[in-house]
Amino acid sequence: MISASNPNSMMSSSSTTGNNNAAGSGQQAPGLKTYFKTPEGRYKLKYEKSHPAGLLHYAHGKSVTQVTLAHLKDKPVHALSSSSSSIGISSGVKSAAAKFLGGGNGSRALSFVGGNGGSKSSSGTTKVGSLSSSYTNSYTPNSNFDGKGTYLIFNVGDAIFISDLNSQDKDPIKSINFSTSNPISHAFDPDAKDGHDLLIGLNSGDVYSVSLRQQLQDGGKKLVGAQHYNKDGCVNNTRCTSISWVPNGDGTFIVAHADGNMYVYEKNKDGSGDPSFPVIKDQNQFSVSHARYSKNPIARWHICQGSINSIAFSSDGAYIAIVGRDGYLRVFDFKTEQLICGGKSYYGALLCCTWSMDGKYILTGGEDDLVQVWSMEERKIVAWGEGHSSWVSGVAFDSYWSAPNSDGTSENVVYRFGSVGQDTQVLLWDLEMEELVVPMRRAPGGSPTMSTGSQSAHWDHAWPPGTLRPAPSMRDVPKLSPLVVHRVHTDPLSGLIFTQESVLTVCREGHIKIWARPTSSTEPNSDSSLSATTLKEKPRLGYRQ
Amino acid sequence: MGAAGSKLEKALGDQFPEGERYFGLENFGNTCYCNSVLQALYFCVPFREQLLEYYSSNKSFADAEENLLTCLADLFTQITSQKKKTGVIAPKRFVQRLKKQNEIFRSYMHQDAHEFLNYLLNELVDILEKESRAAKSDPESCSSSEQIPNGIKTSHMNGHVREPLITWVHKNFQGILTNETRCLRCETVTARDETFLDLSLDIEQNTSITSCLKNFSSTETLNAEDKFFCDKCCSLQEAQKRMKIKKPPQILVIHLKRFKYIEQLGRYKKLSYRVVFPLELKLSNTVEDTDAEYSLFAVVVHVGSGPNHGHYVSLVKSHNHWLFFDDENVEMIDESAVQTFFGSAQEYSSNTDHGYILFYERVDVGNTS
Repeated sequence: MISASNPNSMMSSSSTTGNNNAAGSGQQAPGLKTYFKTPEGRYKLKYEKSHPAGLLHYAHGKSVTQVTLAHLKDKPVHALSSSSSSIGISSGVKSAAAKFLGGGNGSRALSFVGGNGGSKSSSGTTKVGSLSSSYTNSYTPNSNFDGKGTYLIFNVGDAIFISDLNSQDKDPIKSINFSTSNPISHAFDPDAKDGHDLLIGLNSGDVYSVSLRQQLQDGGKKLVGAQHYNKDGCVNNTRCTSISWVPNGDGTFIVAHADGNMYVYEKNKDGSGDPSFPVIKDQNQFSVSHARYSKNPIARWHICQGSINSIAFSSDGAYIAIVGRDGYLRVFDFKTEQLICGGKSYYGALLCCTWSMDGKYILTGGEDDLVQVWSMEERKIVAWGEGHSSWVSGVAFDSYWSAPNSDGTSENVVYRFGSVGQDTQVLLWDLEMEELVVPMRRAPGGSPTMSTGSQSAHWDHAWPPGTLRPAPSMRDVPKLSPLVVHRVHTDPLSGLIFTQESVLTVCREGHIKIWARPTSSTEPNSDSSLSATTLKEKPRLGYRQ
Repeated sequence: MGAAGSKLEKALGDQFPEGERYFGLENFGNTCYCNSVLQALYFCVPFREQLLEYYSSNKSFADAEENLLTCLADLFTQITSQKKKTGVIAPKRFVQRLKKQNEIFRSYMHQDAHEFLNYLLNELVDILEKESRAAKSDPESCSSSEQIPNGIKTSHMNGHVREPLITWVHKNFQGILTNETRCLRCETVTARDETFLDLSLDIEQNTSITSCLKNFSSTETLNAEDKFFCDKCCSLQEAQKRMKIKKPPQILVIHLKRFKYIEQLGRYKKLSYRVVFPLELKLSNTVEDTDAEYSLFAVVVHVGSGPNHGHYVSLVKSHNHWLFFDDENVEMIDESAVQTFFGSAQEYSSNTDHGYILFYERVDVGNTS
């Protein structure tokens, strides 16, 4: 059943959104509330996105759903040819896509895992004051389809689905099937110069770059106009675990693999040759090799033994944070290819990482159930968020949020961030650096000596640059408590994204929930103006001045 | 034979660990509970080595009488001394001995792997204590009679109790829990030590082992009908109780309580909950100063939807490779495949392979003595 072409689908979905979205495949389980409270008000479940029910492939479950938010800008696309026949087929799709134009302005395109692509978000936020999605309900069937809008790109089984973020349709407007291998990771660049803005990495190691707009215009179920890299895993045949555009990188992108290698590609370069990188002698040793000829991939970075699980660029593209199976966070200067700093988790692998917009903090989450806050200034873990009862699978800063009474002059900056875990919960946190206190070093057994273990004794000391810190001891790191703990899905979660209007949560099985931010009900127009000021106040400094 | 064996050898190629043997164990009709645990114990290298060492240096006793210890040592010796690197072995004598000795395991019914592990370890301890007593009884014979039964002992906080016999089984598996009870009236803390060979943890849906361990040692209030008799107040009082790990064991065995008695049903039910377990773990709720660090090396997996039927297999890490043991069959698996044994996030699922007993080995050698 493809309900994108079902004329009744819009009607039926809009009638259910008022109350509880009883979902077909992802049943609203008893005990799952449709709102959660924060100090600034209630976040309400606005609607859900999913894949058509019954589309569970045999391979389903092996791959975990990730979501990428893609903001397609309003720009002419004459360069792309689309046959008239394909327009005819996809007309239903188009009108659905065009329905809520203008909503989601200012949403930064950020990949779930990487948090990349948010570099030039100011270009997307300029229109914020003029349009507010809640009031653009006018249906414009004749609008010229140019793909403009905000889309959710997510993988389930062997398919990539694309949903219109601002439509209430639960079902995606487009699906792309990959017969050979499951898509695992994806990333979107809102500022791509040529058409290719979407990257897709597969379980087989293969990588594609395509134009999202072209996919939306095409009526078929196959990838169209794709550039294929690492064909049949010829360079690396291990799982493509994380993929990211380099911010301001002029079409450069990074692909991380399950064997601890990471490759640098340039999308305008040929990818057919054999770059033949030297054999890695020591799996535990970091090394970078450049391709001898100007071919893709242009460089290989060997990061660590075991899988790389997530990569994230600082918003200015200067630094890349990498986490993986060995439990280390590593921060590299991307240009100089130097390790800047890093450290070990409390224990177990790290699964996700993201940067604060100002580049001062990195969040990581992992198998120790902790959300780690890493300070780039202090080059160490400055806080552990305790509150998940299983592995932390997604972390994100809420760059649209600012402290309720902050006037922009206060010294004490508060960061809001969120995390999701395999415990099916989303947690929201406030990080206020001045309130963090290093726990008292109580001596066990009443002995007053400072006989802390070898790890913790030197843990606080300055650490030489370019080296990795060992795991801190439990009692050395200040703890954060969550502001909100809310169970949002019945399945373990895999990620979250903050947008201007909402928080998105996604579970491993491919169900997405969109939680609308609190609105002040007394002033219906305050919504847009408030958010505009919020953005102004938020410091958007590059890390390097 | 050897079709499967050579396949494994091929898979490992020149990475086949020197001197290591990977042998499947024959199933004598529902003896998979036994096979899966035996494989986990065999690949618990310090345990294997100490068993073989003890056996070879105490041959004189062993010759005298057959018991579970000699049968286990024979089986392990049989595996290690195989010419071939892979194959199948029939643990016939061990299983016969087990059935002879304990009627629970005599039937062809589906048995509980944890119950078997527990029985085996306690039996080994008993045998070792008996032998040590016999050895000592030549010069002086009286005082060792009040040995602790089954390795469970209680000792008082202060006064030095005579050191109980610490066997090499204890050295591997035994940890000490402190049960701290604080009387809410007089604030007196009563601490009671308990030894354990494994930790049995209550589980909840979509949680982690870390979280289950946290719940295990979380503070519990004793009140209403469950008050605590405070020695100082000489009466029943409300109190707060918590469990701390006083001495983390060298080998941490975690048993997930997947088989739960449901009163309404009047029977046991299998909990298929998804409980994630990391390859590395730390115990932070210890009395010790440093956090004890562990690495996962074996998982006994229960396959099936109910408590009274099903199958057991085990996953074992040997020389940085993960192996899958299913009775006779041995296969190499990727480390990431361990994740497929976490359990089901939804109650009704086709996935019925669930991690049941986890074996972690302590890695921070420097901190123990």
